[in-house]
Amino acid sequence: MKVYRASDRPAAPATASDLELLRQFEPVAYFTNGEPFFPTDVDHYVRDCSLWEHYPDEHEKLLVKQGELTLEKLVEPRPAAFGTVRFLRFIENLSLTESAQVLADQARLRLKLRNYFHAGIGRLARGGFLPRLVDGLFSLSFLLRGRVSAATAAAAELDYYEMFKEEPKYVYYGRVTRQNGWTILQYWFFFCFNNWRSGFHGVNNHESDWEMITIYLYENGGQLIPEWVAYASHDFKGDDLRRRWDDHGELQINDECHPVIYAGAGSHASYFRPGEYQAEFNLPLPNWFSGLVRTWNKFWTETLGQPAGNPFRIPFVDFARGDGLRIGHGAPQSWSPVLIDESTAWVSQYRGLWGLFARDPISGENAPAGPMYNRDGTPRSSWYDPLGFAGLDKVPPPPQALELLKSNCDKVIQRQEELEQLILEKAVELQSLGIEMKGMEGNPHLAKQHAALEKTISALGAEVKGLRRERSENTALLQGLAQQRERMNAGEQDDPRAHIRHLAEPDKPTLAFRFDRAAETWAAISLSLLLFAIAGLIFLAPHYVWAGLTIIFLLFLVAESILRAAFVQTIARITLILAMIATLILFFHFWKWIIVGALLTTGAFLMFQRLRELTG
Amino acid sequence: MARRKKNNRKKRPIAVTVIAAAIVALFLIRLYQVFEPLIRQQIFQNGVAGPLFDGWRLTDLGRALLSSVTYFVLSATGIAVLIGFLRLRRWSWVLLMSWTGISLAITLVNYYYAQRLLGSQPNYAVMASNVIIAFALNMTEVQRIFGIRRDESVPSL
Repeated sequence: MKVYRASDRPAAPATASDLELLRQFEPVAYFTNGEPFFPTDVDHYVRDCSLWEHYPDEHEKLLVKQGELTLEKLVEPRPAAFGTVRFLRFIENLSLTESAQVLADQARLRLKLRNYFHAGIGRLARGGFLPRLVDGLFSLSFLLRGRVSAATAAAAELDYYEMFKEEPKYVYYGRVTRQNGWTILQYWFFFCFNNWRSGFHGVNNHESDWEMITIYLYENGGQLIPEWVAYASHDFKGDDLRRRWDDHGELQINDECHPVIYAGAGSHASYFRPGEYQAEFNLPLPNWFSGLVRTWNKFWTETLGQPAGNPFRIPFVDFARGDGLRIGHGAPQSWSPVLIDESTAWVSQYRGLWGLFARDPISGENAPAGPMYNRDGTPRSSWYDPLGFAGLDKVPPPPQALELLKSNCDKVIQRQEELEQLILEKAVELQSLGIEMKGMEGNPHLAKQHAALEKTISALGAEVKGLRRERSENTALLQGLAQQRERMNAGEQDDPRAHIRHLAEPDKPTLAFRFDRAAETWAAISLSLLLFAIAGLIFLAPHYVWAGLTIIFLLFLVAESILRAAFVQTIARITLILAMIATLILFFHFWKWIIVGALLTTGAFLMFQRLRELTG
Repeated sequence: MARRKKNNRKKRPIAVTVIAAAIVALFLIRLYQVFEPLIRQQIFQNGVAGPLFDGWRLTDLGRALLSSVTYFVLSATGIAVLIGFLRLRRWSWVLLMSWTGISLAITLVNYYYAQRLLGSQPNYAVMASNVIIAFALNMTEVQRIFGIRRDESVPSL
């Protein structure tokens, strides 16, 4: 399809069909070496799944067996009780022998495909000691909550490989919708599995994965021109998700029309730039505890001036290196697009999960729902409000922006004229009442009228003051609007990143610790060493457990700080915490003396101040 | 008219003076701890009149001398740190903060065990001096003047 140009942007005719629009701006996806799952079609996947229901009393029921399920059967109406979870199951339960078998087969497959992944400096070395301690507890929590095993991930990898051999294609599901003057192109990608945890040391594993990016176009002179691109990603929402088409530092565009996605290995989260991103997972804490942590953080940063930190936030690395398979325009592999909308039955009529319901209470290991719904079956905001999803609901398309600005200016100017007239009238009335009140003074028999008039004058005075304030504020507003109008008329554009509050930044390539290998080894073994040391302490010196624990913990922190080149800061923080404990002890023992001392000091200071004032 | 020369020297914050005073106070306490065992053993009157070791163990006199020498080294270090500190040297800040941290850790452990196990009183004067020094060293202006804080991102622990 021919590209029509408006200024420096590519454009498509407004009359183009939805599929033509999607194809013209379809993204190019760059994956990381070692990634085993790629965007695939739901039809084939569903045929390999069984359909289940999980009931509130914890039992599960098979609705349709594997091999019998189709997209048509998936959307058949099935009434269910409140609290029922409907889900697909891609990999059936594996016995111990089967698990060992699939893990061995997975290793052979990777060897055959030469599809390896090397983490480099692992996530543990990038995070600190305290988050690592919490991370250990997080790992242990998998013993208590539902999880999707590495063997399941291996089986999914093998099954996907077989599926791909049967139908070798890379699919995106495209949706075109129009809202508030914007034409919105959504590209949905379906993956059979998310193996971020077992494959890439990430947060979670789950069957099936839905990812999405959106391109926002506006119409100008019969042409549709791209203005914004939004990628769904961890930890970010609203304005932070989108980049302007001309922000070449952030957004890579291939062949002028095709934005590049750097997909996170295993997680499939979309990034604008290649690199290794620190995604952070916030532990779900009880409200009262979160409140305590917030209060402590406020005291720590604002009162003590220390850098902010949250040990209950575990750092995970999302590897979006872009050194693996590439799909899309100019890449070795190409897309097979499929149009979807609300009339597509499996999109709108299947509200269940697209993979295993792992009974994980914090949902990380449960499969996601489809493009239109959340896990609980409620509508997904990125589907019903694609503008609000990327913070664009408040942003007009550029051609309308100038008109809106002019209309705003006109409204303010009109209000200013009204205010001028009102202020003039009210001011004259105020003066007239003022002189009337003056005339009442010295006449005791007019006291009542005088008091009433005083009230009226006070109210009128406040009204005039308010009107004058409004006029003054409007003058400033008009200046701002006029400047903006001038800039827009001159074709000047704002900073493309002015709307971003938190920019996703990959770790610097030069990120290095003082002793790379030592830091990594230490990161891997330190937690276990700590546990061994505690065990030794309990066995060898049971009477000194608390003192020993404190000293061991401090020694570990100091060792960590030396490896992370943060010795000075660490020593300062530790000393500060010890000083706070000592302060509490001193206050506990000497509170009377401390209060008396404070009173005497304050008294002496005040006396000094007053006497200095007295003696000039 | 001769212009006054602009003073390029770093201005010393009041907290530095407070810390210096606290170091002097600690020095005096340590100095007392140098002489107290020597006086107790009447070394100034009798000299070192007796053996220091009993086999592999220290005698009372040996322990008193060792304690005195240790506190003397600490006092001398305190003076060195004080000089570096008044000259606004970075190493003295690091040394003092480390020293304060270690001292606080020992004092806190001592507080817990001195009361629970030994029944004696911990040294609250040392604890209070350390607290003052720790908070004063943590002040932003003090850290800036010693080149500790440069408002750059610090790796989290």
